[in-house]
Amino acid sequence: MAEQASFFKHSLKVNPDRCQGCTTCMRSCPTGAIRIRGGKAVVNDNKCVDCGQCMKICPHKAIYIQQDDFALTKDYEYRVCLVPATFIGQFDAKYRTKEIYACLKKLGFTHIYEVEHEVGYMIDLYNQYMEEHPEVRTFISPYCPAVVRLIQVRFPSLVDNIIHVRAPFELAARVIIRRLMDEGAPREKIGVFYITPCAAKIAAVKYPVSRKETCIAGVLNMDFLYNKVQLMLHDSDKDAQPVNHALTSSDVLWPLAGGEACHFKGSQYAVDGLQNVLNFLEKLEDEAVDAEGLVEMRICDQGCVGGVLATNNRFVARKRLEHRAKVFDSQNRTKTRYRRYDDPEFCKWIKDQMEIPEIKPRSIYKLDDNFAEAYKMAERMKKIEKALPGVNCSACGAPSCAALAEDIVRGIAKMDTCIFINRRSQASEDAIRSIWGDRVRTKENNNDDINKP
Amino acid sequence: MHYSFDIERGNFADAGQASSSVKRLLKQLGVAPPNIKRTVVALFEAEINAIAHAYGGKIDVDIDDGKIVMVVADQGPGIPNLDLAMQEGWSTASPQVREMGYGAGMGLPNIRKNTDELKIDTEVGVGTTVTMTVYFA
Repeated sequence: MAEQASFFKHSLKVNPDRCQGCTTCMRSCPTGAIRIRGGKAVVNDNKCVDCGQCMKICPHKAIYIQQDDFALTKDYEYRVCLVPATFIGQFDAKYRTKEIYACLKKLGFTHIYEVEHEVGYMIDLYNQYMEEHPEVRTFISPYCPAVVRLIQVRFPSLVDNIIHVRAPFELAARVIIRRLMDEGAPREKIGVFYITPCAAKIAAVKYPVSRKETCIAGVLNMDFLYNKVQLMLHDSDKDAQPVNHALTSSDVLWPLAGGEACHFKGSQYAVDGLQNVLNFLEKLEDEAVDAEGLVEMRICDQGCVGGVLATNNRFVARKRLEHRAKVFDSQNRTKTRYRRYDDPEFCKWIKDQMEIPEIKPRSIYKLDDNFAEAYKMAERMKKIEKALPGVNCSACGAPSCAALAEDIVRGIAKMDTCIFINRRSQASEDAIRSIWGDRVRTKENNNDDINKP
Repeated sequence: MHYSFDIERGNFADAGQASSSVKRLLKQLGVAPPNIKRTVVALFEAEINAIAHAYGGKIDVDIDDGKIVMVVADQGPGIPNLDLAMQEGWSTASPQVREMGYGAGMGLPNIRKNTDELKIDTEVGVGTTVTMTVYFA
């Protein structure tokens, strides 16, 4: 079977000048999306879920996130910077939030709007959705876009457990646009720019799971803006106009692991970190854990402060946000709260805007659409796997022997890609045997009924 | 295709090995997600039953064109009253097993709910063989 044409796009890119083909990223990818070809890492777009694990682990800084050009902001008269609380968590507590925002304004933004401003409404949306779906026992938060995609490709039976609501930054973007339009701004003159802590959120903006349209004009990498703002803070620009923040203490904690689950009834599971998420999803799929209500899941360790574009150490950033939470008002948001918040018609509009009609499962494991054909392939794969050495050396350019077996039955690799099988001389035979012993089968043995389809 | 797995008494930590492997295979075969779920839930329950109650056993899984047959055979105490065991909430699980979150008496009823065919052969003092079939079509 030929490889499917790719239909999903991603923001993670490999820089071929830096990539050494060292296999580190390939071995850590949770969906087996990476292969080494021509000495470089190559990402299969249909399998990638934008979790950013490859970028975090790459020892050569060869993987990067493509961001929008900052100059794009110049195209708009109303330039809104959509700031997640994770961003202010990057800065030392001695810098006040209003100073950080002032720097963003000095960079050219006309308005600062906080993603977590709309947390109260997100809670309502989740609760409404859960009430409308009494047949579902476990609800998975749609907050982390990488989790949503991971479920689509690896845990397709759990797609109906995901709350079909878009991420909070989409809500904040819509509200600020409506607000500016109510104040007389023409829609085409408003550009909302989101500061992202990770690759998954860019992908969610650019290539959404189900609805095509987005109202975000551009996405800027958090490390890029951090550097700019940190420099300005360092120069302690005294004439900058302070900009008030509108976050409450619980809003600030929302992006941290556990910051979301604590607002809901039920078992309040909060799972963070790639391996933990994989493990928990596996258990949910087997119904080996009974989780009633909302399960918060974040691909990054500690939540968004562990994002690949977050500059500072996640534990330090967590402490900083916790510190700000103590300083911030526990409730009062009335002054900055949008006056139409309680208007039923407005709420209905928001609900409609935020709904995701469908999250489609798209299993990456399926070998063929036809069961009989898939069965034959699976049978052959099992035989091939037995013949391979099982040492997962990755010298074939696949992450494991099992992955190579799959590539062989899919027709994108050959049996003799395996260096154990393709031993050319007695010397290499002896060398391999001295390391791995007799469990490595001889070339002749391997040819039995494996290469036949 | 045939797969087999061993079950060790009291080894809850390893529970789910069989269901994980089977789950992976069914995903490769493109079996519809609800059918995968039914299969895996039933297999996991049966595996836990054997771990909790029996002295060890074996799981045999056969997959062919439209169905999966899972046979969980244990050497164990057997089930003295099968009708009672099939009732929701009825359990003979030890307090230790219950402490681990198992033994709520939902095992066999849950297996029945998730499978298309269920056959239980049991003999007190000898063991229990649970044969579960799920049709994919």
